[in-house]
Amino acid sequence: MSQLALEIRGITKRFAAHVAVRELSLDVPRGAVYGLLGPNGAGKTTTIRMILNVIAPDSGSITVLGVPNTSPGLLDRLGYLPEERGLYKKMQVRRLLRFLAELKGVDGKTADHRITEWLERLSLRSPEKDWGNAKVDELSRGMQQKVQFIGTLLHDPDVIILDEPFSGLDPINAQALKDTVVDLKHRGKTVIFSTHLMDNAERLCDSVCIIARGEKVLDGTVAGVKSEHNKQNIALSLAGSPSDEVAAVLEDRALVARMDDNNRFFELELAPGGDAQLLLQRLVGAGAQVQRFELIQPSLHQIFLDRVGASGVEEGMSGHG
Amino acid sequence: MAKLWTVIKREFLERVRTKWFIIVTIFGPVFFGVIMVLPAYLSVRGMKDIKVTDIRIIDATGMGLGDRVATRLAGGPMGDASTTQVVVVAPTEVAAAETTATHDVMTKARRGYLVLDSLTLHEQKATYAGRNASSLNEMQIIENAVRSALLGMRLEREGLDPKRVEVLTRVKVEMSAQRITDKGRGGSGIGSAIFGFLIAFLLYMMIVLYGQNILRGVLEEKTTRVAEVIVSSVSPDVLLAGKVIGVGAVGLLQQVVWLGSAAALYTFREPIFLKLGMPAAPAIPLPEVPALLIVALVLYFILGYGLYAALFAAVGAMVSSQEDANQAAQPVVMLLVFSIIFAQPVMLNPTSRLAEIVSWIPFSAPVIMPMRMSAIQIPWYELAGSLTGVALTCALCVWLSARIYRVGLLMYGKRPSMSELLRWIRQS
Repeated sequence: MSQLALEIRGITKRFAAHVAVRELSLDVPRGAVYGLLGPNGAGKTTTIRMILNVIAPDSGSITVLGVPNTSPGLLDRLGYLPEERGLYKKMQVRRLLRFLAELKGVDGKTADHRITEWLERLSLRSPEKDWGNAKVDELSRGMQQKVQFIGTLLHDPDVIILDEPFSGLDPINAQALKDTVVDLKHRGKTVIFSTHLMDNAERLCDSVCIIARGEKVLDGTVAGVKSEHNKQNIALSLAGSPSDEVAAVLEDRALVARMDDNNRFFELELAPGGDAQLLLQRLVGAGAQVQRFELIQPSLHQIFLDRVGASGVEEGMSGHG
Repeated sequence: MAKLWTVIKREFLERVRTKWFIIVTIFGPVFFGVIMVLPAYLSVRGMKDIKVTDIRIIDATGMGLGDRVATRLAGGPMGDASTTQVVVVAPTEVAAAETTATHDVMTKARRGYLVLDSLTLHEQKATYAGRNASSLNEMQIIENAVRSALLGMRLEREGLDPKRVEVLTRVKVEMSAQRITDKGRGGSGIGSAIFGFLIAFLLYMMIVLYGQNILRGVLEEKTTRVAEVIVSSVSPDVLLAGKVIGVGAVGLLQQVVWLGSAAALYTFREPIFLKLGMPAAPAIPLPEVPALLIVALVLYFILGYGLYAALFAAVGAMVSSQEDANQAAQPVVMLLVFSIIFAQPVMLNPTSRLAEIVSWIPFSAPVIMPMRMSAIQIPWYELAGSLTGVALTCALCVWLSARIYRVGLLMYGKRPSMSELLRWIRQS
């Protein structure tokens, strides 16, 4: 049995005018929570669609759970939540969920049983009200998201692929989603999700791959990526607004390569050869009232900006990632 | 295969469960029943009741023809001819009498007036003017009365006894039209024409209703983005096939209910007609439907429906909004309208060159050919050729549509141009 849940080798996908994905390779270990990161238009959705064999790559190969992704029956072991969510509006929730489960090869009885379980778990079913008997368009948006999420997991897939799962979720549903992802990991499932929100990825993922303009920028475990990016960052927060002298220190490019105002603190990137101790001395010398001065690992967000740059975001095509 | 069944089941059940389907399926036969029975009911009643007696006859023949006509209008010597006014005038006074009569008709004193003069005697020409001039039944009654009055007068002049004349000229003919085929005489000509037209109309309705239904279904899956979830479980081809088969089954079910209730209505027509107070049920002889026709009918239905369903599905996959869909569907709808336009001329003359040509064109054959088949004998090679053409075109349309569908299902935004569409077809 292959140790990899997903193995992508050099896939390329061209659409009429542009190349959506170019020579992309990546490995996702079994049981990992894997983040596919990138700005809008980076090629995330196209990559996901190729993994699911919804569209075929022009070249390259994709292996899922040890078999080519075109193998019959493989799709039954994958769960997919698309970025653009939607359900048959006029269908009864229960019937819709049973339909989705049967499409994945689950028999009706098992499906019914699991549907009840899930509806209760996500509080769509209580002794007073069973939303399973309602039509989809009678449900609130948040409830519809839950139903869609149930539809993704009803067949107990081994690999779960979520495309921008957090977009449009209210905080309660986002928390439920996060809990479920963690639970799935504990049960040995592989979860792959795409996002352009680095904070989510940093909190949830074991490994990440950053892509921009259809090409891989970097990949690896979150810890590995951070240590590889061996720059020291400093979280600095000052009492009151910085005086001109303090500002002059911060703008000394021999010491500080870049400064990002996070509102509650500044995230400083030391210039090559810059010394944190020297910076602290200079700041105090300039009369700064230091409240926080902490050596921190760069956030994924910083690494992303570093490696992709603002241009990668701006040039991205809107719409499908 | 199990998944195809799952898709078919959903497409079928979700449609059969709608109120729309239940209403149309149940009330359709009631509606058709009323349409079928009502004209028969009215015409039977009408024929019995119509008496055209409240008219004025301006008689300038000088031979008493007006009185004879009045008698006939009243239903013979036993009838009451007093309600019909007969004005005997000299030929020169006709114009004045007509002016007065016109005035009386306008003031509704009389329903109309009939002018009989020497032209009537020598050239069998008479003039009628009145409020009811457009009623074919009433005009026929007046015409018959004049003809039989003239006939009677001529026979009497030849020396026949007026009483004998009265009996002899009261001839009523009922003609039954029968149709002759290679196998000999059988069935009623009108019956099979009605049957043929009914079939053409049913096929047309089915294709229009359920073809558009497929278009809406595909569009719904696109706009609600369900399509993406489904195609991550089954291939677009399975989804398309399931949709076409499922929706087709809905249509078939509806037809079975309709035809079944039509058969029931026909079987129990006598009690029904009796209830309506019509003593004798008018015989609507059912045409004999040979097995070959039924086989051909089913084949044409399946192939014709498949052909148009595939085209409508492709249109649905091409567009992203209802407005776009209406526009993009126009060429397909035109093809359908084109075939129903020819239904009437073909039925009136099923052996014509035009009829032959439109039964060869694959887009109109499924509607036209079954209709022609019920009217006339079609040579086997023509039938086989037309069926093959439809089958090949159907296969081609399904193939093309599946390709457009595969690409279009996940494409949003602007409607594709012709060249983009060709690229989709090559690409998938």
